[in-house]
Amino acid sequence: MFWRVLGQLLNASRGRLAVALIAIASGAAVTTALINLNLDSERKVSAEFRTLGANAVIVPNTAKNGEYTYSFVIGAVRPPPEVVPKDDRVATPLIRESFLSKLGEIPSDKVGLAVPYLYVIANFAEVEGSQQVILAGTWLDQAPKLAPWWKITGEPVTDRNDLKHCLVGRDVARQLGLAPGSTIELRYSDSSGNRDVAFTVSGIVSSGAQEDNQVIANLAAVQKLSRIDGRVGAIQLSIPGTPREVEKVISQLAYAYQELYFRAVPQIAQAEASLLPRIRGLIFFMVALILVLTTLCVFASMAALAMERRRDVGLMKAIGGSISRIVRIFFTEAAALGLAGALIGYVGGIFLSRWIGQRAFHVAISARPEVLPIVVALMVAVSLAGALPLRLLGRVRPAEILRGE
Amino acid sequence: MFLRIITESFTRTPRRKFLTGAALALGMAVATATLTVALNVGDRLAAEFRSLGANLLVTPKADTLPLEVGGVDYRPVNAGAYLPADDLPKLKQIFWRNNIKGFTPFLDVPVGAGHPYAVILDRDALTRTTLIGTWVNHRVEIGGGETFDTGVSTTHPWWHIENGGRWFDEGSKEVVVGVTLARRMKINIGDKLSIAANEHSEYPQVTGILTTGGPEDDSIVAPLFIAQLLADEPGKFRHLTVSAVVKPDDAFGRRDRTKFTAEEYERWYCSAYIGSISLQIEQALPGVEARPILQVAEGEGKILGRISVLLWVVTLAALVAAGLAVGSTAATSVIERQKEVGLMKALGASNALVGAFFLGEQLLLAVLGGGLGYVLGVLLAWWLSVSVFGVSAPARMIMLPVTLGLAIAVAIAGSLLPLRRASRFDPAPVLRGE
Repeated sequence: MFWRVLGQLLNASRGRLAVALIAIASGAAVTTALINLNLDSERKVSAEFRTLGANAVIVPNTAKNGEYTYSFVIGAVRPPPEVVPKDDRVATPLIRESFLSKLGEIPSDKVGLAVPYLYVIANFAEVEGSQQVILAGTWLDQAPKLAPWWKITGEPVTDRNDLKHCLVGRDVARQLGLAPGSTIELRYSDSSGNRDVAFTVSGIVSSGAQEDNQVIANLAAVQKLSRIDGRVGAIQLSIPGTPREVEKVISQLAYAYQELYFRAVPQIAQAEASLLPRIRGLIFFMVALILVLTTLCVFASMAALAMERRRDVGLMKAIGGSISRIVRIFFTEAAALGLAGALIGYVGGIFLSRWIGQRAFHVAISARPEVLPIVVALMVAVSLAGALPLRLLGRVRPAEILRGE
Repeated sequence: MFLRIITESFTRTPRRKFLTGAALALGMAVATATLTVALNVGDRLAAEFRSLGANLLVTPKADTLPLEVGGVDYRPVNAGAYLPADDLPKLKQIFWRNNIKGFTPFLDVPVGAGHPYAVILDRDALTRTTLIGTWVNHRVEIGGGETFDTGVSTTHPWWHIENGGRWFDEGSKEVVVGVTLARRMKINIGDKLSIAANEHSEYPQVTGILTTGGPEDDSIVAPLFIAQLLADEPGKFRHLTVSAVVKPDDAFGRRDRTKFTAEEYERWYCSAYIGSISLQIEQALPGVEARPILQVAEGEGKILGRISVLLWVVTLAALVAAGLAVGSTAATSVIERQKEVGLMKALGASNALVGAFFLGEQLLLAVLGGGLGYVLGVLLAWWLSVSVFGVSAPARMIMLPVTLGLAIAVAIAGSLLPLRRASRFDPAPVLRGE
């Protein structure tokens, strides 16, 4: 009986219910998309932040060894001879290159990219007087991946075993009149004498920062020139994930390798940490506003429905139906409406979140099944709240209705 | 007659009108608020990004190659060019001066540092390090009696003095020591240091221990004037970092500026692109080269672009929801009154006249509801902006006509469909009460 009446009612006011259903379904679609987005936005925005370069670095832990050093976050420089007494230079502690292969074994969701750096100071052999320059040794096949902002004119060096080619910074090229294809000769001096090396310039790097003033070659070439075998000065890391996850990976690594010093790059961590909660906050507010609007929409359709149904209710009451029973029928109707709207909207929301992800991040945002119960609960609650005007029907007096007023 | 019917309709059934009006007001409040926030969000996020630090580097144009790693220059003091610090106030006189959030000059001097008397007793026992002369929170006179406070506290906000210490006073012979250097030299707050470079030596007091995560951790950071004394270069600095709020480069901003027409050049010059700000800095300070630090500038532009697309999409979703809510309440209010339509038609009203009545009503509601919605929306935007960004979003007057237009469009669009249906009604059954 209950269900038959319900079925009749649903059938009778199809137009009105369709408006409410559209409202609920579109509210559910937008809510689904935004909840998916909110769950994913932190990860996606964090991934964007990785384009800012390394977010962690490894340097030798000098305090641990009791050794004194000129080690910097970016790497260990052997300072120019006139700045440093001879014996002081030997003390620079470095990182064993074999550590890089250990890092390579860590799954890529923990450590995305690891690039070693070794900096030495060299002289341009053919320049009059002494024109010093920083010679950076790295893996030239990997370094531009970690620094996507490098603008390379000419050809990049794609093999890390290529000892013949190098990149030169924009200012170096300008000062010495170099172009891709020119050769440069560098001289390195230490206590055992002078050694020369010649490179063919493959490309010119501009970055607006230190690389503009450097000659960048493969690590092996710099190690060979300076006779620092199997050692690097610093390792730059790109660790994927949110700031919290990055911090966790760093502390795990620091615990496992206590002879090294791991640290997050503070400015990137800080910018990320200040931005993420703001984006999340904005999306949260939008979801709240959209829910309010959907409730309003359902409320309006239900109020109209209540008006229309006064006559039905009068009739039901006249033949002995109790108010609570009548109201129960209407609320079941509202809940069914909420459920149907939520299901339709959820399917729509899957497509919507894909589209949003595609637009904003060029990656589809996958729909998560755990969003479905949330959306259903929200929508049923919203339509029940919207159905509150139906309670007014309790006040209907059957006599008036039957009289036709 | 027309007006009387509309007035009657408002006074007879105020509750129904109230519902439609409330829906309009709420929907338009959400539209106004989300649009206001979305219009301001770019600026706010760009300002947040300044915590990444400076995005412009200014160096002397004719210079030897700096021996720079991680922002510290290891050149000896007699090599390379210097710039006069007296020119710096001119940075706050360029066209985009309000976008210059801070600038900091640096002068790096290779020094030997040790405990007091080490200089006299045994110069070789000094620890080799770099003294970085800079401003922390320096008051610059920018002309017109105005001042501007700038220094590393603005351009390098992640530089952090460990608890118990403080930054040096810029007029005094005080320094702060990087955390690694302090540990290795066993320096404590309050100690006196002797610092020697070439023929000069200074004996400043240590006021704090500095952590930066960069090579400064292994250096001494001092007021600019101490570095100038040690380098024997009074009033000079080596390089300058500038933190500017910029507009992300678009296709126009990336174009080659030598190929602009005069009009395009004007437009480019008066946009806050990083290129035009660099050019203005080069024009203001003679003999310098200003270049964007691509790591910060490019990354910032890219991330900001992505985030603003994301927020616009979300805003669009909220707008659609607002439109639906308003449209459906408008539709409901028309459906409710089919009986009236029937009566009007029975009395000889044409479809056009009936439509005009309803549209006139919706129009009035839209203007009232939209106006109220605008006021509510401004408040909502203010609250949203304060709770998310901690800064209020300025209300824009342009939003008022936009909101009203939107309200009218949505309300009319929502009532058109049911009106068309109503106009097809045969008045007879409606009047019979069926």
